[in-house]
Amino acid sequence: MDNLEYLFAANAFVWAGVIYYLLSLHKRNKALRKDLDLIKQTMDKEADQ
Amino acid sequence: MSANSPETIEEDQEGGTFMIWLTAVGLTAAMVAIFLYVPTEKTEGAVQRIMYFHVPAAWLAFFAFFVVFLSSILFLWKKEREWDIYALASAEIGVVFCSLVLITGPIWAKPIWGQWWVWDVRLTSTLILWLIYVGYLMLRGQAEAGSMRARYAAVLGIAGFLDIPLIHFSVLWWRAFHPQPKVITSEGLGKGMDPAMLTTLCISLVAFTLLYIVFMGQRIKIEKMKDEIDHLKKEKLYSN
Repeated sequence: MDNLEYLFAANAFVWAGVIYYLLSLHKRNKALRKDLDLIKQTMDKEADQ
Repeated sequence: MSANSPETIEEDQEGGTFMIWLTAVGLTAAMVAIFLYVPTEKTEGAVQRIMYFHVPAAWLAFFAFFVVFLSSILFLWKKEREWDIYALASAEIGVVFCSLVLITGPIWAKPIWGQWWVWDVRLTSTLILWLIYVGYLMLRGQAEAGSMRARYAAVLGIAGFLDIPLIHFSVLWWRAFHPQPKVITSEGLGKGMDPAMLTTLCISLVAFTLLYIVFMGQRIKIEKMKDEIDHLKKEKLYSN
């Protein structure tokens, strides 16, 4: 009674959860950095004018 | 040197990269220990190895909610945004770990108990804990930004933590399906476990803790970036 499929399922869910959260953090980080750069560029342009 | 100077940002990035590599090594070591080093338990078989994911995830969820509890108290006391950021970041990570606990538990229970879920006191109180902090995140997402939202969230963050002692002691106070504690026992720390199993559990716990630190670093950075964007937008608005 090894029930390897259950062990595999638990392992897969843990990794999927960790990777999904890590990717969501990366995506949010990237989007915010883009916004921040855009705002800074706009402000710099306005300051130059 | 200011907090956002190029040198500081570079040092932060270097520190972050080092932590990510350390976590990757920790997780690899944990996988090796779980699948190659630790002996198979006699009665439950290979499925018992789920414990090496389930228990560290539970500890980390509790630790994350403890950080929410502590940060919320400090936020209410000192009224500093920094503590509110720590509470929010830790609550989100706590919900991730708590979700893993609620997924891996039933996967272990099905072959051992013959059913995915029983309304046992520990399982139910853990589900309630998850619901409280999902509610906490929904409150943060729905209510209008400002100090009132942070204050409501802090109160919920403190109140939600009170469920954790109930979860821990539930299997000792009432008859429960959930296995009794094997690490923290009345006989001493780790006395109820085989040394190889205890070592594997410790390696897994360290790896999960490193993962929590990496997640916290990234999540805090996101919230600070949001604050900076809000600040710049307001600055732009007033300058126009």
